[in-house]
Amino acid sequence: MRDRIAFALGFAVMLAAGASAHHNMSAMFDFNQRFTETGTLSKVDWRNPHIYLTVDAKNEQGQAVAWSFEGPPPVFFRTREFSREDFEKSLGKEITVEASRARDGSKAGLIRELKLADGRVISACPQNC
Amino acid sequence: MRNSRRLIRSSLALAWAAVIAVPGLALAQDVSAAERARVEAEQRAQAIERNARENARQLTLLDKQGKVVATVGQRGLYNQPVLSPDITRVAVIKADPVKETNDLWVVDLASGRETQISTSKSREPVQAPAWSPDAKYIAYVGLRGSRYGIYRKLSTGAGDEELIYQHLGGPIVLTDWSLDGKVLSFYASDLSGSTLYLVPVEGDRKPIEVTHSESQVVAARLSPDGRWLAYRSNEKDNRDQIFVRAVPAPGASKDAPVGKWQVSTEGGEGMVWWRRDGTELYYFGPQRGVMAVEVRAGQDFEFSKPRLLFRAPPSVPATGNPGAFGSVSRDGERIVFVVPPSQPLRQLTLFDRTGKVLSKVGDPGIYNQPSLSPDGSKIAVMRLDQQTDLTDIWTYDVASGRGTAVTATREGENAPIWLPDSQGVAYVSARNNANAASIYRKAISGQGTEEQLFRYTPGAGMVLTDFSADGKFLTFDGGGIILVVPLTGTDPLKRQGVDFARSEYEAGLGRFSPDGKFIAYGSNETGRFEVFVRPFDAAAASAAGEQKWKISSDGAMGGITWSRDGRELYYLSEDRPASEVKVMAVEIKASPSFEAAAPKVLFRLKGPLPGNPGQWKISPDGQRFVFAMPVETPGTK
Repeated sequence: MRDRIAFALGFAVMLAAGASAHHNMSAMFDFNQRFTETGTLSKVDWRNPHIYLTVDAKNEQGQAVAWSFEGPPPVFFRTREFSREDFEKSLGKEITVEASRARDGSKAGLIRELKLADGRVISACPQNC
Repeated sequence: MRNSRRLIRSSLALAWAAVIAVPGLALAQDVSAAERARVEAEQRAQAIERNARENARQLTLLDKQGKVVATVGQRGLYNQPVLSPDITRVAVIKADPVKETNDLWVVDLASGRETQISTSKSREPVQAPAWSPDAKYIAYVGLRGSRYGIYRKLSTGAGDEELIYQHLGGPIVLTDWSLDGKVLSFYASDLSGSTLYLVPVEGDRKPIEVTHSESQVVAARLSPDGRWLAYRSNEKDNRDQIFVRAVPAPGASKDAPVGKWQVSTEGGEGMVWWRRDGTELYYFGPQRGVMAVEVRAGQDFEFSKPRLLFRAPPSVPATGNPGAFGSVSRDGERIVFVVPPSQPLRQLTLFDRTGKVLSKVGDPGIYNQPSLSPDGSKIAVMRLDQQTDLTDIWTYDVASGRGTAVTATREGENAPIWLPDSQGVAYVSARNNANAASIYRKAISGQGTEEQLFRYTPGAGMVLTDFSADGKFLTFDGGGIILVVPLTGTDPLKRQGVDFARSEYEAGLGRFSPDGKFIAYGSNETGRFEVFVRPFDAAAASAAGEQKWKISSDGAMGGITWSRDGRELYYLSEDRPASEVKVMAVEIKASPSFEAAAPKVLFRLKGPLPGNPGQWKISPDGQRFVFAMPVETPGTK
């Protein structure tokens, strides 16, 4: 930390600042607990400092489970030429998310990689890996 | 010509203009995706150019006395240099910011010829190179897809990279290749601590856990005989030191006592290296000291008092991760650094409204984010101590130039903001190696204890940007969003930040108007960064409705500041073709309804300005403007 905490350089690099973590990822998510869920994308919350996707999947008993997946900020995707609209086109359709599991045992994860309904794959690494 | 026309047009535009007052969403839709992409690409290119200019490093070989033996090749965005066992080549990570790659290269020390070893995809970085003892191979950590792996490749660059081990968890750090060539050592850290593993280079390649520490250890490296582990840790008194611990024998009980020794005495900042014969180890000490410790390892671990070999070049960071900037050869006789450019000294300089220099305050130094006190008598500023690499908050008396340290800590502080009474300064720091940044305030005399005002989410970055004139609110940037904190109650840990601006676009640099009814801020919602004003609802500590006004007309780089009477807003804009920074002023009328005139240029400064000028509050009254100007390129045009 020291003198380098939150040392934004102004507007020109606020894009990068937007990509900075909003909380301690390794405290909330266990990077050693990787899992994959496939389900229907039911909600896209496309805001800073992190996007959230809600995915309705089924557990081993066939019961519906709503998973909340956290991802990098919107600018992360903009610079990779993925827009909010690209995600919204997958609403109601099947997507697959590979994530690190929430430490508190909730149905939540930190996105490492995801596949949209159109088959395109987006990596959230190295930020989230 | 185009810029000249813009200047004339904006200078002549004195009539009040009713500016944009539409919801942000509509505003955002005014800009096509293509235009947004173009502007963002342009800004990215500018950031890359600046990064290259300020950070390109020179490969430099030194002897054990610190004498420069050779500078090698051209400057580049180098990192983590490691000498080959025969000291004829350097393995080094080189960044290509345009392609967004970090790849492994080998540089021949005699000729400077570079050979690319790894060829990674964008955003799949390579790091932590380690030479095989015969120099035939180099191993490294690579991110491939969403998985980290240890790979090796011929040091000639020929052939494909070979996966040795794939790690399914978080990041790993490769530290060494054993002298017999049989195993690689790497460590992984998480909340449970740090674990050192050995992975065989041939055979089943299953990693073996060597030792686990409940505290976080950095740069763990085994002695050549595999009996001792040297590492950096803050496990004692929260201060980084170098430790050596015995490696438990295979099959030993986890509860068996393990010997452990603190090797450094005055702090240890970085990587540890062992000499090939195991009789000496080296590490980075405080103030860039390259330290040596003699080792006599019998049944027990015995060692000498650390001695200073020499100090690393002054532009190498003294804290953080200096190990990323240099390493020691296997025989302990040569040290290689990637040496960054020196930071130019800066002079605190006051300008009048026309850009004429009024005075220079204090001695030249590495200053950042200067701001005049509300009463105009003092300047608060971040000052970097080049010896310790720590940043503290200082104030300078404008009349006498005398400086006073407000803070003097190992943690460092940043983002100073004056309190309304000019008697204190608020700033950001993380105390006691805590993972959470907090906002504090302290008297400008430096006397007395600091008061914690607010603590943010652990792990989150924050930039304090303003204190309201009535002292009831502060505002800060929290990762592309603006939050306001009502300073209610007496328990700082119970105070909560309230969203003022949060959308899919980045917002920041919020500044309260003097009457507390508005906040000016920056956002890229139109496709590039511009200055906006929104009404502030003090009762809710958030924006009052969706209305907003766009203040700047041709982009902005920050420096947003209200005049004390609230009748003008200032900001900085960059004229890149001319390499100038424009100081802009906008007349404001807040009642009966908010109106803003067209921006006009007050004066121009030779750019680029070093540091973080976007965050600066440039003037309290519109008559005197303060900047930290590079000593080499002073003056205005």
